[in-house]
Amino acid sequence: MENIMLPKPHKILRVLKETQAEYTFRVECSDESKHGQFYMLSIPKIGEAPISVSGRGEGYVEFTIRKVGRLTDGMFGLAAGDNLFMRGPYGNSFPVESFEGKPLIVISGGTGMCPVRTTLNYFYDNPEKCPEVRFMAGFKAPDAVLFTEELEKFKDRFNTQYCLDTGEMEGFKSGFVTQCISDVPFADYEDYNVVIVGPPAMMHIAAQECVKCGAAEEKIWVSFERKMSCAVGKCGHCKINETYVCLEGPVFNYTKAKELLD
Amino acid sequence: MKTSEIMTGRKDFYTFLQRLFYKEVDAQLLGALKGMTFSENCGDAEMQKGYDAIAAYLKNSGENSLDELAADFSKVFLGAGSHEGNAAFPYESVYMGEKPLVMQKPWEEVKKIYAQHGLALENVPSEMMEDHISIELQFMAQLDDIDDAKAFLSGHLLCWADRFCADIEKYAETDFYKGAAALLRGFLKMDLALLTELEGQEHAEKAYSVTDAQFDAVIERLSKDYKVYAPRLTGKFGRNGKEIVRFGEIKSVSEIVYDRQSDFSAKEVYYPVMQTMIYFTESESRESELKDDKGIIIIAHPCDINAVRRLDSIFLENGNHGDVYYARLRNKVKFVMLECAESFENCFCVSAGSNVCEDYAMALRLGETNSVLVKDGEFAALFNGCEETEFAPKFVTENKKAVNMPKVEGKDDVKLASGLEYWNSFDEKCISCGGCNTVCPTCACFDTVDVIYDETSVDGERRRVWSSCMLDTFTLTAGGGRARKTAGANMRFKVLHKTYDFKKRFGKENMCVGCGRCTSRCPKDIDFAEVVNGFTEALDTAKEAK
Ligand code: SF4
Ligand code: SF4
Ligand code: FES
Repeated sequence: MENIMLPKPHKILRVLKETQAEYTFRVECSDESKHGQFYMLSIPKIGEAPISVSGRGEGYVEFTIRKVGRLTDGMFGLAAGDNLFMRGPYGNSFPVESFEGKPLIVISGGTGMCPVRTTLNYFYDNPEKCPEVRFMAGFKAPDAVLFTEELEKFKDRFNTQYCLDTGEMEGFKSGFVTQCISDVPFADYEDYNVVIVGPPAMMHIAAQECVKCGAAEEKIWVSFERKMSCAVGKCGHCKINETYVCLEGPVFNYTKAKELLD
Repeated sequence: MKTSEIMTGRKDFYTFLQRLFYKEVDAQLLGALKGMTFSENCGDAEMQKGYDAIAAYLKNSGENSLDELAADFSKVFLGAGSHEGNAAFPYESVYMGEKPLVMQKPWEEVKKIYAQHGLALENVPSEMMEDHISIELQFMAQLDDIDDAKAFLSGHLLCWADRFCADIEKYAETDFYKGAAALLRGFLKMDLALLTELEGQEHAEKAYSVTDAQFDAVIERLSKDYKVYAPRLTGKFGRNGKEIVRFGEIKSVSEIVYDRQSDFSAKEVYYPVMQTMIYFTESESRESELKDDKGIIIIAHPCDINAVRRLDSIFLENGNHGDVYYARLRNKVKFVMLECAESFENCFCVSAGSNVCEDYAMALRLGETNSVLVKDGEFAALFNGCEETEFAPKFVTENKKAVNMPKVEGKDDVKLASGLEYWNSFDEKCISCGGCNTVCPTCACFDTVDVIYDETSVDGERRRVWSSCMLDTFTLTAGGGRARKTAGANMRFKVLHKTYDFKKRFGKENMCVGCGRCTSRCPKDIDFAEVVNGFTEALDTAKEAK
């Protein structure tokens, strides 16, 4: 029996400071991973935590980690050249192939941008695959804004709206990101997809707002963030009713997600 | 009749049934059927019903029978002509999968089983999935081993045959296929009884009357190859002033505490509270090793033995991949079933459906005189020299507590059950200590923790430790979010898991085995039987109000 919980060392290629609290770790890895999947990273001296792939390229994957609490603290002693133990990729993914050829609306809150970042870049790099991308990103405050350069870049090909819950910054509206949803002309679209990722309360409000504005529930996709100690259906932490988020998620169609009551 | 003759006879019948469900009746088969004389008193009412219906059809059959049967075959099994596509689709997956579709988990399972047996399934058309009724029947016709045949029959065919046959009867126009359904249903049930009987003969069970001294000698002999565990006193006292009983290694039968429920379950023997999983250095990770190569014998009551199947579902089945750390200990375990002299204070195993247990190597009655029933051939010689006796273990059939398990059916019920006001009452009552989880034989959840040996290096190990869904940190993420925020929400989660959603997921049985330990353990006197009854009542009321 193969030991599915044994992590393997991977070399850190570089560490990039995104904000005061967030760092992106680029790690040597040539696994095939799909949009929205995650890895279990071993945080030195602490333990394991599920972290979504926030970027990838030839021979590497990236993880963007927020420096909060004891759990992720251990990460920040690491530098390029050090080993990071990890296992994965785990979970299902956004059905990006079926997104092709239809308008795509992406709504992210804070670090919720990480799991959708590879999807956004995929459509940025292949503009012919998607007639229209609307990207709405919300952040708590100016110092929490992630991937600044990329946000700027997305402006040329996507319809973008960026928001700040508090504080002011150029190019950002003030208020919650969910306020932008009413601008989406759902009624004009024949077919479309909506991706929502962020804190649970934000996803809930955003999905309800979409539905209120005429979006069909089955066209909405969300990604759950849960405590996970195993990612392989054993530890029980991610379970909601009979659903294991690590096995059947983290991506759920909203028709299913709204049944997953905690 | 010799066992081998019986085996051949039943295998031939499987081949016959296989043909009936494999494809339409052709001229050759019709001719053969017409030439057969069907028994008029085969001894099984259901099968007789089938024989009679088929015989009646054949008697009145005419020129266009072949066409008529072919049309009925397509209607019943392929849904031809039905606007809704209703049919008795002949796939296990359709009946046993999470959704009524082909190629789901049951299909994966049977493929795996076929592969394990390395049996060649001949003449299978490529468009036919491996869990097609005719292929499962064909597989039965090829199995020589009684235990294997029984396992496949009860683990697969019998799980869906009843509903499948009922659908055939519903959709079939001809008596021929209605009869075939009755024949299939009747035969499968009869075969299970037959196999069970053969199994009994094969492993001739013997029972002995054993003195304490003889028993101690047996334990000593066993100890060469096994560690023998049983519930025993610990010298520590619980909050009720009673000495705590826990599973531990024993040397003498006198150590076994058999007349009360142990405070902790047997699971700690094969799924310890704490286990080292991995050793780390800067550049390497290595799986921990088991130091002991002895087998494990656990002497336990039926509830604890039934509980293992639940843990197996999670650790070996869930996610379609086994857990190494669990499997390596679990695979060493053999159980000795310790008969319950009486139902203990908080037990409700009868309501939980786990009072009876068949999976054991030996059964044991302790008291003034001790009796042992030996099932497992490995232990056959162990009691040579002891007096043979008649002994069949008894099971508790009534508890002091009875529990009405909730009837949660469909999404609306789940929503209703989750939203009940009832759960809020636990916000005050339950102090989220998690004690109930630690004593439960079916709680499987764990946390992992990394330990480093000294601050100057990263060398260290990863351990896993039992976790508890009742703790308020259970769903706490690194970012500080908590999915379930109150004691009431945790209670709802636990109760639904124990009495509803585990069964929903694995399809076999509820998680809770009714051992009553959580009730005995709770510092706030929360009685789990009452909690479940209260839930069922609140849910029923809410359903009525709708
Ligand atoms: S929930 Fe309580 S009664 Fe049920 S198996 Fe667990 S400890 Fe025993
Ligand atoms: S033992 Fe009692 S108080 Fe403690 S978590 Fe369980 S139900 Fe709550
Ligand atoms: S993370 Fe352990 S069961 Fe899903």
